[in-house]
Amino acid sequence: MQLTYAQDTEFDRPAIEVRALRKVYRGGVEAVKGIDFEVAPGEVFGLLGPNGAGKSTTIGMLTTTVVPTSGSARLAGYDVVKEPRRARSVSSVVFQEAVVDSGLTGRANLDLHARLWGVAPAAASTRIDELIEAFGIAELIDRPVEGFSGGQRRRLEIARALVSQPQVLFLDEPTVGLDPRIRHELLDVIAGLRSRHDMTILLTTHYLDEAQQLCDRVAIIDQGEIAALDTPAMLLAGLGDEILELRVDGDGDAALASLRARGIANTDAFAIGSSLTIALDGRPAGETIAAIADAGVKASGFMTRPPTLDDVYLRLTGAPIAEAA
Amino acid sequence: MSATAIRTGGLALRRPALTRRASALVTLARRRAALTAANPRQIAVPLLTPILFATVIAPALSKALGGLHTHIDYIAFVSVGTVGLLVPLAAIFAGLSVIVDRHSGAQKELLAAPIPRALLVLSNLVVVLALATFQVVVLIAVAALRGGIFHITASGVAWFVAASVLFTVFMYGVAETLAARIPRQEEYIAATPVVAILPFFFAGALFPIHVLPGALAAFAKLLPLTHALALMRYGFVDHHGTGLHDIWGMSNTTTEAWLSLAVVLLFAAAFIALGIRTFKRSAVS
Repeated sequence: MQLTYAQDTEFDRPAIEVRALRKVYRGGVEAVKGIDFEVAPGEVFGLLGPNGAGKSTTIGMLTTTVVPTSGSARLAGYDVVKEPRRARSVSSVVFQEAVVDSGLTGRANLDLHARLWGVAPAAASTRIDELIEAFGIAELIDRPVEGFSGGQRRRLEIARALVSQPQVLFLDEPTVGLDPRIRHELLDVIAGLRSRHDMTILLTTHYLDEAQQLCDRVAIIDQGEIAALDTPAMLLAGLGDEILELRVDGDGDAALASLRARGIANTDAFAIGSSLTIALDGRPAGETIAAIADAGVKASGFMTRPPTLDDVYLRLTGAPIAEAA
Repeated sequence: MSATAIRTGGLALRRPALTRRASALVTLARRRAALTAANPRQIAVPLLTPILFATVIAPALSKALGGLHTHIDYIAFVSVGTVGLLVPLAAIFAGLSVIVDRHSGAQKELLAAPIPRALLVLSNLVVVLALATFQVVVLIAVAALRGGIFHITASGVAWFVAASVLFTVFMYGVAETLAARIPRQEEYIAATPVVAILPFFFAGALFPIHVLPGALAAFAKLLPLTHALALMRYGFVDHHGTGLHDIWGMSNTTTEAWLSLAVVLLFAAAFIALGIRTFKRSAVS
C-alpha cells in the first residue's frame, strides 16, 4: 500500500521557512544563533550536528514548545509564534524519546492523535487501518504499548504522526538508542516515507550515514549556527572523489601545516589529533604518499576511501561528530 | 499496492471553534479516565477510604466522644468532613499523573496537538470531578446506611454540590500548579501531607472550629476547606448553619452561605487560573 498526499497550500510556498531564528535561554545560553533555511514541499531535509548543536531547540521552536528570542519561522505559511495552533495543525512530530501512553493500546494512541488533530472518525478509522498494515504492526496494535519493543514502539510513533497526514513531519533523532538491526529496519521505514509525495520531512540526526541515505539536503549545524547547507552530493563534492587518511608521529596540526606549505595538502585537508585527512583531488594516492615521505613527515596507517559526510563535518567543525556528541 | 489520495492541512481548525474545543476536551478527558481507571481495582481502591470513614471511623468517634451535644448527628458531621480529605487526595494524585505524563507519557504529543493547551488541564479536572463525585456519593450513601442522619433538600443539594465542585476545582488548581513547578514525583509526594492532609485538621472536619484556640480558629476561617465544609453541612446536615455562624458570626444564614460560597469560588477561580498559567508556562521554554 502506498499513501499519496495532496496539499491545500500553495505549491510555490516553502513548507518550512526559517529567518534569523535565534534562541537565548534564561542564563544567557545562546542555543541557536540566527539561522536561516527553507525547505520545499516534499523535500527531506536533515539537520545534522552533535548533541547541544541546537537541533532540538530548532525543532522545539518549529513545533511551538520553545519560544524564539527573535527571528521567525513558518510552517506551510503559518507563523509559529503568531499562529501556533495553525502551525501545529499542519505538522506532526516523532520525538527523540518515547512519547506514548504506555497504558493504552497502540490503536488507542493512534485514535487519540486522530481526534486531537480533528480527523473525521470514518476517515480516521480507514487511515489507521492502512497505517497499521503499512507499518507491520497489526499483530500488536490492540495490546498495551508497554509490551512493545523499542522498534515496534518507534513504528507506532511514526504511524501515529502520519494519521493526521501532516504537511510537515518532524523526526527528532528517530533512531537514537535503537540496536543496529532495528535501526536499519527503521531507516527503511523512513526511506519509505519519501515516496509519500508532498509531505515535507525535517529530520535531525547525529548519524551521518542516516543523513546521507535519507536527505535531499542537509544543514550541518554546529554551536547554534549553520556551518554548511547543501545536498549531500554537493557537500561531498568539495572533498573530491577520493581521500587519503593517515596517522602521523607527533602533532597532526604541525604535520598538516608542513604538507600545506609544500602543496601536498590543500585547504580542505584537516587534522584531528594525529590523524590527517587529505582530499586527493585526482592525484594518485601513491604519488601523494611518496610526497609525504619526501617532506619528512613520518606517517603510517595509509588508507584511501571515498569521502563521507563525516569528513565534511570534520572539515567544517574540526571535531568528530561522535566525539562532540 | 494501492494508492490513496488524501488531502492534508489544517483539518483540526476547520470546524467551529467551540465544537472543536468541546470535542478535544472530551477526547482528553476520556484519555485521562482510561489511564486512571483502566481496571476495576483502580476504581475500587479509592473507595476504601470513604467507606472506612463512614462505617468505622465516624461511628467510633461518635461513640468515643459522645457526639457534638447538639442537634447535629456526629456520623453525618464527620462523613461530610471526610469530603475534605477525599477531594484533596483525589486532586493531588491526579496531579501526580501530570508528572508521569511529562516524564514518561504522551505530554509532548499533546503539546504538539492543534488545541488550546489549557484543555490539557481542564480535561484532567473533568476526570477529578467525576472521581470525586463518585467517591462523595458513595461516602454519603454508606454513612446514611450506617446510621448517619442527613436532611437532604433540593436547595441543600445545590449548596452541597456548589461547595464540593468549587472546592474540587480549587484543589485541582493547587495540584496542577505544584505538578508544573515540582520536577520530580518524589518531591511532589513529599508535599502531599502539607497540601492535602494538614488543612483537614484545621478546617473543622472532625470538630467545630469554635473549639479551636482563637488564633487557630482565625487561621481556619482563611482556609477554603473550612468554608466548603460549612456549606456542605449547611446543605446536608445542619440547616441552621452552625458552621457558617462559627465563621461569620452573622444573623442571616443565607448571607453567610453566599459569602462562604464566594470565598470558595474566589479560591477556585484563582487557583485553576494559576494552574493553567503555570502549566502553559512550564510546557514551553
